[in-house]
Amino acid sequence: MPYLKVLTGKILQLVLVLWAVVTILFLLFRLMPGNPMAAYIEPAFTLEQQEQLMAQFGLDRPLWEQYFIYLGNLLQGELGQSFRYREAVSERILDLLPNTLVLTFTSLIIAYAFGVLAGAYLAWRHGKTVEAIGIPAVLVTRAMPEFWLGMVMLAVFSFWLGWFPAGGTRSPGMEFGSQFELYTSGEFFRHLALPALTLAIYSQGLPLLLMRSNMLEVMKEDFVTMAKIKGLSGWTVVIRHAARNALLPVMTSFAIAVGYQLQGNVVVESVFSWPGLGRELVSAVSAADYPLAQGAFLLIAVVVILMNLIADLLYAFLDPRIRHA
Amino acid sequence: MKYSIGAAFAATLLASAATLPAQASEAVGKIELITRPQSIEPAEFQSAQIVALMWRKLGLDVEIKVMPWEQLLDAVWYNRENWDTTAWRMVARPERSDPDEVLFNMFNSSTMENGYNFIGYSNPEYDRISAAQRTETDTAKRQELVKEAQATLAADQPNMMLAHPKVAQAFNKTVWDPGTVVNASGIGISNYWTFTRIEPLGEEKDIILSSSNNVVAVSPLYYGGPVDNWITELIYDRLVRVGPDGLPTPSAAESYEWKDDKTIVVTLREGMKWHDGKPVTPEDVVYSYDVIKTGEAPYYTAFAANIESVMAEGRNIIFTLKEPSASFVVSSLGKINILPKHIWKPLIDGILDKPENAETLQEDHPVGSGPYKWERWLTNEEVVLQANHEHFDAPHAERWILRMIPNAEATMGMLRSGQINFLGDFRGDPKILSQMAEHDGHIAVVETVDMAFAFIAFNNRHAPFDDPAFRKALSASVDRNLIVQGAYRGYAVPSNSPISPALEYWHNPDLLGDLQTGHDTAMKILEDAGYTVENGHLHYPEGE
Repeated sequence: MPYLKVLTGKILQLVLVLWAVVTILFLLFRLMPGNPMAAYIEPAFTLEQQEQLMAQFGLDRPLWEQYFIYLGNLLQGELGQSFRYREAVSERILDLLPNTLVLTFTSLIIAYAFGVLAGAYLAWRHGKTVEAIGIPAVLVTRAMPEFWLGMVMLAVFSFWLGWFPAGGTRSPGMEFGSQFELYTSGEFFRHLALPALTLAIYSQGLPLLLMRSNMLEVMKEDFVTMAKIKGLSGWTVVIRHAARNALLPVMTSFAIAVGYQLQGNVVVESVFSWPGLGRELVSAVSAADYPLAQGAFLLIAVVVILMNLIADLLYAFLDPRIRHA
Repeated sequence: MKYSIGAAFAATLLASAATLPAQASEAVGKIELITRPQSIEPAEFQSAQIVALMWRKLGLDVEIKVMPWEQLLDAVWYNRENWDTTAWRMVARPERSDPDEVLFNMFNSSTMENGYNFIGYSNPEYDRISAAQRTETDTAKRQELVKEAQATLAADQPNMMLAHPKVAQAFNKTVWDPGTVVNASGIGISNYWTFTRIEPLGEEKDIILSSSNNVVAVSPLYYGGPVDNWITELIYDRLVRVGPDGLPTPSAAESYEWKDDKTIVVTLREGMKWHDGKPVTPEDVVYSYDVIKTGEAPYYTAFAANIESVMAEGRNIIFTLKEPSASFVVSSLGKINILPKHIWKPLIDGILDKPENAETLQEDHPVGSGPYKWERWLTNEEVVLQANHEHFDAPHAERWILRMIPNAEATMGMLRSGQINFLGDFRGDPKILSQMAEHDGHIAVVETVDMAFAFIAFNNRHAPFDDPAFRKALSASVDRNLIVQGAYRGYAVPSNSPISPALEYWHNPDLLGDLQTGHDTAMKILEDAGYTVENGHLHYPEGE
């Protein structure tokens, strides 16, 4: 079965890439100049205490030994203990992951829903003024740094207009029975709005332009001309007939976009004080908290690689041209 | 003709050779000045630039090396012989209001090898004074010694003290009565006294404050940073606290008395209860100190190292010390948290034999006896504490809510829009904060001189920094006001002592006035010591 062979091949590739990422991550931190203990040494510590701390962190062993211990732990699903928080890295990551996932997927869904429709619209209005204004506008959103965009959104919609809160997932002191209760509350949506919108504005450029370009191709096809001859209205042709075919590559790009989005999360989470993994990553790196930083990076890498794999498989599955190749 | 010109030429050469000094003195080699990057420590970076400029005018070749903290530590702390000079900073902590930590640990020669005297300063006279102030329990006499120690340092200039930064903090004065906000010496308004004493003016009774860092731990045995410390200070009691004036005042202790110079009897206040309802007993206090002595809380170990034994007797707790210690009350009784034995004993017993220590123990629901009770902690988002109305320092506020906001601009905006009503630690531009307060009538900005200090460290171990005259000249070449204006934009006060003017009782006020600065002053010091300038380069005195 050729499909199974393809799948196995892809999974082996995935494992190889993961191993490379894990190794690079490990080396990246440890080869940076400077003493990792710097953040944790107190002036009152005796030499003995300093050495104890190094042993606790596993930093007293030779590099290669640390590497194999690290790999061994990873295979058992052990991500180690955070230097700073003294708790299991996996626990900390799992604590923060839901917030990041909600933000990522909400913003992507908004971006893609908008991008697909707007892209189809601009393709339909090819050659008109709308397009002449629309394309540069989209390119501007694509070129804007997310940090700047976030700050502007904050300044305008939160501080000036007062429509939205400026940070966090809820108002200070508000209590919710469970995480689920939080995620389904109006309070949460008010807090999610600005960060999700910021990310969405940045991300919608890709699906929009991709959709538009695919649509332009598809609209030249015979079956579209056929539909027009039949007398179907412009927009019906666009949506019912052309869009579906143009949608295919856009859907697979969604999977890949999740990976790119996570980069943006790092910035947006800091601007909006969103308690997620991106922000924790920044914090862990500046505090030289190797295990936590490695764990967070690794998780993001896994998500990106996995989504790429899904995109690959999805495309192969959905596109009849490849399936029958 | 040619022959005679040649001879004359040779003769001139020989003659000029004879007038040269028998041994040419060596040029002072290149000096490296280490500093942290501008994006992380702008004031430090700028100070280094100014200092290097002044030193170059003296005829020195100065190279500035920029490194992040981890590398700086490697280059200086772990490599004590080789570095030349570095910028450095000591931050404020309430416990540092007692001068012992700074005066002894930083400059006494006993900590030269591995401890905080990384500059390698060794002066037997200073050793004597710094050791004496440590054990002098008569406060007035100790004050004399502390001032003398500072004067010795100023005369020797083992470091070049630069400035004490000013801290800008703010609160909403339509929510909180400004008269009830306490500005603690050297720390500012974010302190135990403010949090227990401020009174609300209207409907809003929750203290909502910001922190730019995440809370690391809420534990009486793990100091995760100044923000964590705010929380533990409120949840847990201590026998003694550092008062707004920087001097110790009894807190959980009703009173304390020195029986002799190594024995102190502390009487525990009556009626104290843990947040779970059980009474606080002297046994709990004894246990709190015994835990530290097990070494399971490394951060606190040094502060109980001098304790020989702790015992309970009725309502009293008797501490017997190994050596007399004047700073014991602040550095030990004022630092160690009182924790409930009935909760911690099983936890600690469980880890005594294990490699991990108490820092890995994080209670799900911390129980203390302090003025605020634990309510909840949302990772990286907020910590909520509820007022404990039965406490002897019962707060007037209802809740204390900490929001973790990494973005300085967002913090300012939130203060303005009312989403927070107290600025806990502000990492942004103090000037912008002041401007904002001027425009908005409802925000009060409080500027305090910090007890922290910034300085340029000299490596006293090797030439030319082992020559006091050289150090004094380098120090004299920099006008501290230039540092305050140029590097701190006015948000600092000049310094000639590691003890900040914020610590009024201990600070020696004469030393700053005594410091003469200026290029000419510096050159004179060098010339008097025998240094010369040749071809724009400074040279050692002859025979060096």
